[in-house]
Amino acid sequence: MQSHGIPRVAATTLDKSEQARNKERKQIIQYQALERDVVDRVKAKDYSDTTFQLTSQLLTQNPEYYTIWNYRRLILQHVFARELAADEEPSEQDSAAAEKANLPPAQHEVLLLIKEDLQFLIPLLKQYPKCYWIWNHRSWLLGTATKHLPAHSAVTLWQAELGLVSKMLGLDSRNFHGWGYRREVVLAIERLNSNGDDGEKGSGTGNMVESEFAYTTKMIQSNLSNFSAWHYRSQLIPRLLSSRKADTNTRREFLDAEFELITRALYTDPYDQSLWFYHQYLMATLNPSNAQALPVLDPCGREEHARYLEREIGSVREMLEGAEDCKYIYQALLEYSGLHLEVEGEGGEVALGEMREWLRELRGIDPLREGRWRDLERKMGS
Amino acid sequence: MDSLDNTSWDVVVTGTGLPQSLLVLSLSRSGKQILHIDRNDYYGGDEAVLSLSEAEQWVKNHGGDASERADSTYSHATISHLDAQEGGAKKLGFARAYSLALAPHLVYARSNLLPAVVSSRTHSQLEFQAVGSWFTITAPPDGSPPRSRLTRVPSGREDVFRDDSLDLRAKRSLMKFLRFVASYDEENEQQRMEQLKSLPLSVALKQHFGMNSTTAVAPLLALALPTVSEIETTVEFAVPKIARHLRSIGIFGPGFSAVLPKWGGLAEIAQVACRACAVGGGVYVLGKGVMNATRAEDAEDAEDSKLRLELTGGEKVTAQWLVGCPPDLPHTISTPIPSQASSAEYMAKNISIVSSPLTSLFPPTAEGGVIPAGAVIWVEVAGSSSPSVRILVHSSESGECPAGQCVLYASLRGDPSILDTAVQHLLESVGEQPTPKVLWRMQYRHYTETEQPRGTTTSEGVVMLQSLSTDIVLEDDVLTDVEEAWRKIMGERAEGFMKFESREGVEEDE
Repeated sequence: MQSHGIPRVAATTLDKSEQARNKERKQIIQYQALERDVVDRVKAKDYSDTTFQLTSQLLTQNPEYYTIWNYRRLILQHVFARELAADEEPSEQDSAAAEKANLPPAQHEVLLLIKEDLQFLIPLLKQYPKCYWIWNHRSWLLGTATKHLPAHSAVTLWQAELGLVSKMLGLDSRNFHGWGYRREVVLAIERLNSNGDDGEKGSGTGNMVESEFAYTTKMIQSNLSNFSAWHYRSQLIPRLLSSRKADTNTRREFLDAEFELITRALYTDPYDQSLWFYHQYLMATLNPSNAQALPVLDPCGREEHARYLEREIGSVREMLEGAEDCKYIYQALLEYSGLHLEVEGEGGEVALGEMREWLRELRGIDPLREGRWRDLERKMGS
Repeated sequence: MDSLDNTSWDVVVTGTGLPQSLLVLSLSRSGKQILHIDRNDYYGGDEAVLSLSEAEQWVKNHGGDASERADSTYSHATISHLDAQEGGAKKLGFARAYSLALAPHLVYARSNLLPAVVSSRTHSQLEFQAVGSWFTITAPPDGSPPRSRLTRVPSGREDVFRDDSLDLRAKRSLMKFLRFVASYDEENEQQRMEQLKSLPLSVALKQHFGMNSTTAVAPLLALALPTVSEIETTVEFAVPKIARHLRSIGIFGPGFSAVLPKWGGLAEIAQVACRACAVGGGVYVLGKGVMNATRAEDAEDAEDSKLRLELTGGEKVTAQWLVGCPPDLPHTISTPIPSQASSAEYMAKNISIVSSPLTSLFPPTAEGGVIPAGAVIWVEVAGSSSPSVRILVHSSESGECPAGQCVLYASLRGDPSILDTAVQHLLESVGEQPTPKVLWRMQYRHYTETEQPRGTTTSEGVVMLQSLSTDIVLEDDVLTDVEEAWRKIMGERAEGFMKFESREGVEEDE
């Protein structure tokens, strides 16, 4: 089975020789014994290091076993609480190391434990990049760090996370776990940086919107067909513009540049749905009655909306030449001209006759959705 | 080692070029007694790698008409030393710092050779590097000052998207063509392919894909790497080649479609193959060829019916099988290459050592991707009735030259003097100041084999392997030819061609 063209490691072996089966049988017995051991220990509230190591073993073999991740966290919580209660005197070494890290010894211990666990996760993440529980555990570790450690320590960990997630997205740019995690990381870093009372809030160095926007540009350029990257871009735009303190003209220039970008992409590949979604998003920002998409232009009234609709209908119409079999083009034309009719009434850019022509083409290309096209026809009132 | 005289073998293989070496690799676990000889005193045969001093020697043996060596694939070899003229500028390194390939080839990611290298467990001894970017140099239109333009070839959708020199319509037309190419061999494109196949590519692009400008055509021709002129390059030839390129992209990493073996290309693969055969018990002797091969007329037993071979030093050996490429087989068996015939087809070739690392030709293959060690340049020759020059550029990362220099391999089925001009155009158009210079150059002719019946046993017990073509792309037929030979020797029912288990006690990195 492939995911985005990246082959998945087969969990089952095809080799069914007697030798292999015996080997497998032994492995199964070992695994079951290990599992029983861990479960028994946790039930008995044995949160020792031995139990912890056993969970490591079990999770390495089966990271999808989420209960064991929960157990692992129980153990870690127990250990953190014990460390932070700080009953005993720390050793000389530990005190020295903690001072170097600019942390009280108890918290330094917690930091070391968290770092170790993050390390443990890395090879697992490489092998199972789409396992929810691994990302989840990482999230938890970092959340714990943020809770118990001062900002300067926590933020270093989060920065490292940003590096990690960039690498993961480099390996598979369409892994939505990665993109979601990235947003979480960026948010955490921004929060931690803005909490610092160093008066830099005004200059906006705390916010990462510019660099993140540039990141989406980079990802799109290396792979146009990336729903996550385009989506992230759309999420960043409103904040980006307010961070830049963009006035009316700047906003219009920005919007036109985005249209130019997506048009260029659409000419390169009109068959890619992710591009059409982004085009729709840009159009939606102009629609005053669309609550989902925050407006880019300011102000944006009916007049603006109509003008952009006209412009884009013209632009998309031209894309037909050489791509007459592309259903997305017809769909876009019908959607936008339908909207235009609502906004401007009849006698505008597009005649109903032309719309019927497009619908006819669309039905021919995409007969599976006949029901939908019939509804649309009815709506057009033929 | 003791004299070879009166020894008896299962298989005698003559020549250590790539085809023969792949064959002995395939036989390396068979338990057959193999004698592998080469009439040269170096490995690699026609695909050999040479240091500078070895090149000097080689040129001595292959200069002029090579009339004394009627069985040679190469002739008219010359060397020019040019670094002396620079006085104070970049100089050549010492002789052993260079490994120049006589016959460099591009190995596409989809080539059948690579899976065989893996399944035969030789891949851990080889290092493959990316051949990243392809460029065209278009001849300036007549009358304008001779400034050639170096343009990078877009190799896929994102390249086309980013390419500022293409307007929206050009992008669309190019993408339309690339989509056709991507599925040219499928059912739904059969009709269109039939309709277009004998048209010249440039004409088909204009008439059927709306690509009007000549600058749009050059990159596509470059991907096909034809040896003939533009007007002779048909859709039938070009489209499968472009498809191979596109389908190979991304297999070993983003942004590149072909690889080159480090430390001298195919010769390195041949060496590793021979080593595997030696480990399996094969015996190696250089400086020996097969002068004569006969078979007893009235053989009474199996031993008697073996081939009787006479080697260069007069040794007489017997063998069940004799394998070689035409230049290495005795004349009683194969027709010599007519290097004297004026109508003989040859590829003019030229190796140039250049005084600059030419970094602009080796951009990373992708965001965070590898730095390639190879690049391909397709140079248009003014007056389109001439075929174009193809230049393979290898950086010092390939192990073929010291850091700070590059090796350029130029080839053309045509007038050899055009090669130097093409190399000059390339050096002028990389935009480096001062213009990089050629420090050393070797020129020679590579002859095409006359038509030999493919893979057939021309006489009982003799198996003839095709020599590698004079072109610069490694084709799949090389390995299929080797497999046919292997099957003849191992029997029709034999299984597991090039599929070996790892040897006991040998560490393998996965």
